[in-house]
Amino acid sequence: MNFGKQFKEGLITNNPVLVQVLGMCSTLAITTSIMNGLGMGVSVLIILTLSNIVISAIRKIVPDKIRIAMFIVVIAGFVTCVDLLLQAFVPAIAESLGVFIPLIVVNCIILGRAESFAYKNGVLASAVDGICQGIGYTLVLLVMCFIRELLGAGTLMDIRIIPEQFPIGMLTLPVGGFLVLGCLIAFMQWALAKSKNKEESK
Amino acid sequence: MSNEKKEKINMDPKYLIKLTVTLFATCVVVAGALGFVNKLTEPNITAALKAKTVAAMQAVVLDENSDFSEQLELSADMTEAALANGGTLTEAYEVTVGGEHAGYTLKIVASGSQGAIEMMVGVDAEGAVTGVSVVKNAETKGIGSKVMNNDPLKSGVGVLDQFAGKTTADLPLSVGSNVDAIGGATVSTKGVTAGVNAALAVAAVMG
Repeated sequence: MNFGKQFKEGLITNNPVLVQVLGMCSTLAITTSIMNGLGMGVSVLIILTLSNIVISAIRKIVPDKIRIAMFIVVIAGFVTCVDLLLQAFVPAIAESLGVFIPLIVVNCIILGRAESFAYKNGVLASAVDGICQGIGYTLVLLVMCFIRELLGAGTLMDIRIIPEQFPIGMLTLPVGGFLVLGCLIAFMQWALAKSKNKEESK
Repeated sequence: MSNEKKEKINMDPKYLIKLTVTLFATCVVVAGALGFVNKLTEPNITAALKAKTVAAMQAVVLDENSDFSEQLELSADMTEAALANGGTLTEAYEVTVGGEHAGYTLKIVASGSQGAIEMMVGVDAEGAVTGVSVVKNAETKGIGSKVMNNDPLKSGVGVLDQFAGKTTADLPLSVGSNVDAIGGATVSTKGVTAGVNAALAVAAVMG
């Protein structure tokens, strides 16, 4: 196990959103304010880590044929737990994230990591993978939230930064989500290609 | 696809039973865990919901010391009156001040520009609107949300406040004649207006 390598993969070279292009739906929909992004990111991080741990723990007894069904049951269980806990203890976040919490069940990041990592690796490595991928997802959400909230609504954490008449309201709408995400992915690919070229020329 | 060999299905009953049992056992374990979490969080969730409803009701009645009944049973007449006026009645509560009947608070769902607008409408004993507040909505930030936040109209009156005092005699309320819309947010204003229409009709049925 190589913690540093996994961390770098989750954050940069194999970032779930910008490189694997997974979990687009939630990324586009909820990134209108920093609090939303943080709530969603942390929820996914927790669910991803827990489901990775459980799935890698039961991977030897899960028959190959029904593994996807088993994964979904495990993931759905954790998602429902998190949903109930959010509603009970942080109702404000639960409300603003709305249906996107239950929809984490079908978030491809979690099923993707379960299938491509947790099912083939040990418990500890899977836990680390869950945390790293979760952080990678959360960071992208936060960057998107930062751009969209600051430029679209003119606020940060609900504190007004830009006077009300200047923000580009379009950025908080779905179209703004696509634009920001597209720019981020393009930037990421450019940066990755550049560092790859550098390595090759050495 | 054509040159791929079709996977052979293992029909061995023992294998099939093993699959079924494994999946079933997982489901039972997960369901058990969920039941436990649900038991843990249920009181909090109900309390939070109740507090929110009471706060919303408090915002639409005139007297600060109003008491609210438990949720009233919705009769067919009430729901039909709401539907005929463009809203769906979901909850109704009786308002009492010092033990005396002081009207109703009605939770109405009407359709806005981005899906449903859930609002609480207070109606006093004489059948006049005492207040409107939006509980839940998905209106566009910066446009429809102005209506939801009760932003002032050109006349300086809040867009939701303008409904206060309207009675069944004013029915049907409609944007342009006796209701003013926020510029650019006509559809959202229309949604709220439909909800108030429905609330007044329901209150008239309830008497």
